[in-house]
Amino acid sequence: MAILEVKHLQKSFGTIHAVRDISFSVKAGEIFTIIGPNGAGKTTTLEMIEGLVQPDQGEIQFGNLKWDKDADAIKMKIGVQPQSGAMFDLLTPKENLDLFATFYNKAKSTEEILALVNLTEHQNNHVKKLSGGQRQRLAIGLAMISDPEIIFLDEPTTGLDPQARRNIWDIILQLKNLGKTTILTTHYMEEAEKLSDRVCIIDQGKIVTLDTPPALIEKLTKEKEVHLSFLNGEESAYHTNQFIEKLSTVERTEQIGKTLKLWTTNTEDTLYNLFRFTKEKQYCVEQVSIDEMSLEDVFISFTGKEWRD
Amino acid sequence: MKNNLNQFKQMFLAQLKLTMREKQAWFWGIFFPVILMVIFMVIFSGSSNEDFSAEIALVNEGSNQTSEILLAQINQNALLDIKSGEAVNREQAEKWVKDQEVDAAIILPRSVEKTSLLLIVNKENEQGVTTQAISGMLDKLVQQVNLSVTNTVPMYQLEFKTISSGSSELNYTDFLLTGMIALAIAQGGLFGMVDLVEMRRKGLIKRLRMTPAKMSIFGISDMTMRLLFSIIQIVLLSLIGVFVFGANLYINFLSLGIVFLFGALSFNALGYLISSFSKTSEAYMGVANIGSFIMMFLSGVFIPIETMPSWIQPLSNVLPLTYFVDGLRDTMIYEASIFSRSLWFGILIVLLWGSVSYLLGSWLYKRKSIVANR
Ligand SMILES: Nc1ncnc2c1ncn2[C@@H]1O[C@H](COP(=O)(O)OP(=O)(O)OP(=O)(O)O)[C@@H](O)[C@H]1O
Ligand SMILES: [Mg+2]
Repeated sequence: MAILEVKHLQKSFGTIHAVRDISFSVKAGEIFTIIGPNGAGKTTTLEMIEGLVQPDQGEIQFGNLKWDKDADAIKMKIGVQPQSGAMFDLLTPKENLDLFATFYNKAKSTEEILALVNLTEHQNNHVKKLSGGQRQRLAIGLAMISDPEIIFLDEPTTGLDPQARRNIWDIILQLKNLGKTTILTTHYMEEAEKLSDRVCIIDQGKIVTLDTPPALIEKLTKEKEVHLSFLNGEESAYHTNQFIEKLSTVERTEQIGKTLKLWTTNTEDTLYNLFRFTKEKQYCVEQVSIDEMSLEDVFISFTGKEWRD
Repeated sequence: MKNNLNQFKQMFLAQLKLTMREKQAWFWGIFFPVILMVIFMVIFSGSSNEDFSAEIALVNEGSNQTSEILLAQINQNALLDIKSGEAVNREQAEKWVKDQEVDAAIILPRSVEKTSLLLIVNKENEQGVTTQAISGMLDKLVQQVNLSVTNTVPMYQLEFKTISSGSSELNYTDFLLTGMIALAIAQGGLFGMVDLVEMRRKGLIKRLRMTPAKMSIFGISDMTMRLLFSIIQIVLLSLIGVFVFGANLYINFLSLGIVFLFGALSFNALGYLISSFSKTSEAYMGVANIGSFIMMFLSGVFIPIETMPSWIQPLSNVLPLTYFVDGLRDTMIYEASIFSRSLWFGILIVLLWGSVSYLLGSWLYKRKSIVANR
């Protein structure tokens, strides 16, 4: 059963179309990841779902609750960790949690949350003095204080070291064990793969693809990336490119000067045809290398972009 | 309802902690006004008293044993110069005091049973150096006389009384003290709302909106905290003014409470208005500083408005601080009752500023808000 359903969400800020058309539904107990480059519209999408931003178009439904009629009921059901991780810097983690607990009808005990996000040791330091990772864990703790059914985490691991990221992954997996539904955004494909039941890749405000991580990876890691470099220079690279582009086993190519990159779903056939061609034309291939496609590349191949961090 | 009360309590406690831990708030809200007041008091009330001599009027209406002793003592005192060289009647003496023809009038006891010596000075000079000196000398003199009649039980004591010549001008210590209190409260409101800009910048307002927390309760607890802080300002500045600089306060607490409440709320509303259109705290502080600067000098905090160039006065007469300062002076120095018309007129003007600022600020906030619900 869908615990959350969004249909055809759209939002513009002036001339910027932050979200163009986003629809998906999330099942109870699922970890649902939205991944996309900077400015893809992840935060805007979440903020519309969280009731902070009014969508220009589209529908949002939590079971049978809607923002215009059931705002308070929805707020009691959801927990949010915003990207900015806002909290009271001059209060301690314990005081922040105690304060937020009073906003809700029901709340978990502060001690329990502190233990869950591993901050018991720092519970009496001012938030101002916490490290980035500790802050982020507290932000997640604040999202969980009301024992919500649905938890939204906006880039919970951005800017953290590998160890701290793993700590947060553990917390998210614990939430799943508790039967919570989690919707999170990230820039890291690896994270999406490790944590999520389903991954939704978005770019420029639209869904590029949505599937389970194994399905996505299978779809893409069939491709291999081949690098070639020609001794006789640019012209031979150009002609080879013209030839191999037409092969059915080749997905895409890229020629820069005397080097040529190609992505193929059948390396053997492609290389066989390629070398037959170069031998025929007497082009001299200086270097060949074959890469497994990395997860970052999967992402880039879907969004067709360089990182814009 | 119970939940609302609990929310209020918790939010207020959180705000209390935040304020206690915010060093800036204490510096600008408490330390700075105190320093400013001390500096002004020291500069303006410390005129020199070299070559001192005072002209006095002497009233000796029922010549008797004690009055004769005192008279002899006063005649001996080279620093006290008796006008017209002899005792006059009381009316004449009071008239001289009123017209400031003499620095003070000394009324000698009428009979042996009457044990007090009366010193009359003009209200305007009450805290002046001359008055202090005369009173000091008389004090000593009375003590000497007391000593010389130790075997009799009643002791002579000095009674102090002022006559105001009706001018609104009062002594500078009281004037400055009440001015500083008003300024501190006004600035607390004007500058304090920068917190709101900071909260917005950090996304805290947004964060609270994601919870079912009632923003109205948040606002009320925030205001309660600010009022409490202003009360600390009043008490502290008053204590310093009275005990260190000898200010004389005659407070009508009910009227003071009303003036304070409406004034503090209104200046906070002004700060709220500034926060509604300031994107950064720098922008906020810029606007607040201009506002505070204009009011500081044009609202009669340090110098009476009457002494300022006449072309400035119309401007002073529209500023809210002008009326707030007057209100505080009326209720803290003149014990103005809540039935005073001029008091309510001032409150009305201050409230007008406050409510217009609040409504305008709310409208600006709403217009920019991207939240449909709430
Ligand atoms: N309040 C706003 N006013 C104007 N433009 C906005 C606003 N919020 C977002 N945008 C624009 O909308 C686009 C999408 O922004 P959004 O924050 O949703 O991206 P994101 O996917 O969360 O990016 P990131 O990974 O950097 O967090 C961006 O081009 C951004 O500049
Ligand atoms: Mg974002």
